[in-house]
Amino acid sequence: MPAYDNPSRCKLLRGLAVAGSLAVAMLPAAGHAAERLGFVVREFYLAQHNSRFGDECPEGMAASNDELWWRGLSKQDRARLTNNGLRGQDARGGIAMLRGPKGENVCVNPDAVTDPPLRVVRGKYSYGANLDGTSDGKATPKTCAHEKFLSHDGKTAVDNQLYRLVGCVYGWRKGGYIETQASEDRGVSNLGMILIEISGVDNRRNDDDVTVSFYRSIDQFAMDGFGKPLPFHSYRVDTDDNGKPTYGDKVKGRIVDGVLTTARGDVSLPYYGLYTFMNPVIKEFGLTLEIPTDEKLGKGQITGYYNMSDFLNFVSGMAGHTSATDNCPSMWAKAPSLADGYPDPKTGQCTMLSSAFDIGVYPAFVVLPTDAPSGKAAKR
Amino acid sequence: MLHCGSPLRQTFLLGLAGALLLAVGACGPSEPKGAAAPPDMRRLTDRQYHNAVADLFGSDIEIGGRTDPLVRTDGLLAVGARTARITPAGLEQYSVIAKSIAAQVTHKSRREALISCKPATLDAPDDVCAESYYKQVGKLLYRRPLREPEWQNAVKSAHDMAVASKDFYRGIATGLANMLVTPQFLFVIDDTEPDPANAGQQRLTAYAKAARLSFFLWDTTPTPELIAAAERGDLHKPGALSNIVDEMIASPRFEEGTRAFFSDFLGLEKFETLEKDSLIYKAFSNVVANDAQEELLRMITDHVISQDKDYRDLFTTRKTFLTGSLARIYRVRVERPDGAWVPHEYGPDDARAGILTTIGFNAVASHPGRSSPTLRGKAIRESLLCQHVPDPPGDVDFSLFEDPNSPNKTARQRLTAHATAPACAGCHKITDPIGLALENFDGIGKYRVDENGEKIDTSGDLDGVAYKDPQGLGRAMHENPATPACVVRRVWSYAAGRAPTNAQKELTAYLDKAFISDGYKFVSLVRRIAKSDALYAVAPPQNGVAADRRPLRTVEVQEN
Repeated sequence: MPAYDNPSRCKLLRGLAVAGSLAVAMLPAAGHAAERLGFVVREFYLAQHNSRFGDECPEGMAASNDELWWRGLSKQDRARLTNNGLRGQDARGGIAMLRGPKGENVCVNPDAVTDPPLRVVRGKYSYGANLDGTSDGKATPKTCAHEKFLSHDGKTAVDNQLYRLVGCVYGWRKGGYIETQASEDRGVSNLGMILIEISGVDNRRNDDDVTVSFYRSIDQFAMDGFGKPLPFHSYRVDTDDNGKPTYGDKVKGRIVDGVLTTARGDVSLPYYGLYTFMNPVIKEFGLTLEIPTDEKLGKGQITGYYNMSDFLNFVSGMAGHTSATDNCPSMWAKAPSLADGYPDPKTGQCTMLSSAFDIGVYPAFVVLPTDAPSGKAAKR
Repeated sequence: MLHCGSPLRQTFLLGLAGALLLAVGACGPSEPKGAAAPPDMRRLTDRQYHNAVADLFGSDIEIGGRTDPLVRTDGLLAVGARTARITPAGLEQYSVIAKSIAAQVTHKSRREALISCKPATLDAPDDVCAESYYKQVGKLLYRRPLREPEWQNAVKSAHDMAVASKDFYRGIATGLANMLVTPQFLFVIDDTEPDPANAGQQRLTAYAKAARLSFFLWDTTPTPELIAAAERGDLHKPGALSNIVDEMIASPRFEEGTRAFFSDFLGLEKFETLEKDSLIYKAFSNVVANDAQEELLRMITDHVISQDKDYRDLFTTRKTFLTGSLARIYRVRVERPDGAWVPHEYGPDDARAGILTTIGFNAVASHPGRSSPTLRGKAIRESLLCQHVPDPPGDVDFSLFEDPNSPNKTARQRLTAHATAPACAGCHKITDPIGLALENFDGIGKYRVDENGEKIDTSGDLDGVAYKDPQGLGRAMHENPATPACVVRRVWSYAAGRAPTNAQKELTAYLDKAFISDGYKFVSLVRRIAKSDALYAVAPPQNGVAADRRPLRTVEVQEN
C-alpha cells in the first residue's frame, strides 16, 4: 500500500509540508533579503526582420486603404472629396474608410469589400521563438499548419505569423507610422504603460528562481529634457476597486549571466496607441531580458501567441488615423489563413498568431498597493 | 585672528571652552548684563516684504519684480540687511511694486474687505474716511501708530489724487503706494525711548520690540494682536513678554520663521541661480532644484521643531522627506511619485545620513558640470562651523585641476596636484579634506562609488577627527564643538540683525552654555534669545559695542 494513500495521513503530511514551506519562506535570506528589480517598458515594437530593400516582400508592399480608395474614385470625385486635392492622406482617412459599396466603413465591416490579397512576408528569416516545438510547422493539437521561419543564425525554426501578416504593410514596418506614433502616445500619457518586476532576486547576475510580474502603471513616464525616461522613478500599479492590481500576471524565471529568461505562461499586457486600447492575453508568453546595469536601457524580447481578433480589432479601431499606411479588409481577410495557434475546438480555425516583440526597459521602482510607506521603502 | 591653517587650534579651544561650560552647566546659566548694541535699521528681505504684504492684504495680492539683493555679511543676509541701502533703480522697483499692490488693494473686488471705511461718494475725496483708513493700515505697515505728519501726508496725497481723478479709491491707492515706499515700511527701525528703570539710558520702544520679535520668530510684520500688546506695554513686562514668545513659538507660523532662518544660515538663496549641465545631469531640473531646497527645509523643521531633537543630529539623521523627483536620484521607491511629499528613512547601511548627504547641499556646493570638494568644504567651514575661508588669490592657476587630459581621474588626485602650489595649499588644506568626504555624491548629489573608473576615496579628518565616509563626516560634525557654537552665533545674529561683537563675549558664552544645558535644542535656543534682555538692550552709539565693534568670530572667542 502506497504510503500516502491514507487520506488523513496525507492531509497531515500536506499540512506539515505547507507549514514547513511557510517556515522556510519566512526565514530571512542569508546575507541580505531578496530584492525586487523593477522596470518600466518604454519600447515595445513588433520584432521584424526588415531588410534594406524589402527583399522579404517580393510582391512589394501592401496597398493601403487610402490607395485603394483613391484608385476607385473618378477624377471629379477626387477633386470633390479632397478639396481639389488639397486634403492630404492623413486628413482624409475618415472619408477613405467609407468606401464600401453602400458607403460602409470598411474597417468596421471588412467583408463589405473584396480587396486585393494582402502582400505578406515571404522571407526566410525572422525573430521569435519556436513556439510549437516543430521544425516544419505541421499541425499539432494546439497549432495549425504554417510555414516556419529560420532564426538569423539559421539554427532554429521560428514561429512569427504576426510578422508574416504585417511585415509588408508600410505602417507596421519598423519605424513605420503606427508603432512610432503609438509609442509617442504612450510617452505623453499614462496609458498602456507596462511595468515589469522581478522579485525574489538574491543575485542580480545569476539566480535560478525568480518571479516576474507584469503590471500597468497609473503614472506617466518621468522624462529627461531629451524625451528619455529617467531611470529609477517610482511608478504605481493600476488597481481595481478592491485595491488589487488590474494586471499582475506572474511567471517564474531564472537569471543567467545577467539575462532573465522566463518560463512560459499566459500574461495580459496593456497596449495603447492612436487613441485605441488593446489588452490581449499573450498565450505561452515568454520573456528574455538583459537586465540593465545602472541606468542603461535594457533590451529584451517577448514571444508568444497573440490573439488574432484583439489585434484585428485594434487595427480597425485606429484605422481613421492609419488609412494611408495600412488596410483593414485585406488584413482581416488574410489573418485567419496565417493564424497558427489555439484552434477553435468547433471549427479548427486557429485563433492566435505566433508573435515576437522587441522591448526596451529602464530601471524603475514598481509601487504595489502592499508597499509600505516610504519609511520602509526599498533602495537600489 | 583666523588663520587658514588653524582649524585644529580652533577646535581644541572650542572643545576646551565647551568642556568648561559643561562643567559649570549644572549651576544653570544666567544671562549676563550689559553688552547692549546701538539702535539700527534693517531693510526687509524680499521674503519679509512678501510675507508682510500677504499678512496685511491677503496672499492673493500679486507682487512682481525683485528688489536690490542683500549682501551676505558675517554669514547672514539678515546681517547684511543692516547695511543695505536702496539704489535709485531699487527705489523705482519698489515704487512699481507699491503702485501695483495699492491698485490691487483698492480694486473693487477687494476694497470692501480691505478698506474699513466707506466714502460719502465715490468720485470725490473723503478726508475723514481716508484718515481713518491710513491710521489703521499705517499702524500695521509702520509697525507703530502713525505720527501726525505721516497720516496727514497720506490724506493729502489721497485728497489731491481724488480731486484730479474724481475717484476716491484712486486717491486712497496713491496714499497707500506712497506709504509702501517709505523707509518706515521698507526698513525695520529700532525706535528707542528713555528707559524709566535706568535713568539716562535708552530702551527699544515696545513697538520696536514687537517688530524684532515678529521678524525673528515669524519672518513677518507684527500682527495686530502683537501691536496691541505693544500698545498696552506688555512687551516691557518680563512675564508678559515670556508668554508672548511662548505663544509665538507654539504657533504654526514659527515654522515659517525657522525656515527663513535656516534658508539664510545655509545660503539657500543660491538655489535661485542654480544651473546644471543638462547633458551631464539629465535627472536634474528646476523641479528637482525646488524639491531639493524644500527637502532640506522639511528635514530641518521636522527635526528641530516637530521632533525637538538635538540640533547636532541634523548631521546624522536618517529621516527625511522625498518627492518622486528626488527619490529617483536617491534611487529609492516612494509610494507617491506624483509630486507629493512622503517621509522616508534610510537604512543603517545607507550612505545617506544628515543634511550633508542631501541632493540640496551637494548640488548647490558644486559646479554646473562637476562636484567640488573645495566648495563643499568651504560651505561647511563657513556656513556650518562659522569659520572664515579666505578667497582664492586672483591669479590662481586652475589648469592642473581642469586639464581634460589629466591622468588624475578622481577629484582627490586632481586637487592634490593643484593644491601643491604654495598659494593654494593653505586654504585647500582646510576645505578639501571635508569636501572629499562627500565625493560619493556627484554634482547633483547622486551617489557614486567611482569617478572615471577609479574608486573614490572618501577618507579624511575634520579637525583631527578621522572618518572614512560621508556618514563619518556627519558624525565628526556632530561631535565638533564648533557646530553648536556656530548655530548659536548665527541665531543671535539673525535675531539682533548684527553679529555678536567682542563686547558681547560673555553673552555668547552664556548662550553656548545654555544651548548645551538645553540639550542642543534649537527651539530652546530661539526661545532663550527671544526672551533675553540682551536682544532688546540699547546702547548709545558712543558706548557699548562701540567700544569694540569687531565681529566676534568663533575663533576669536577662543583666542582672546
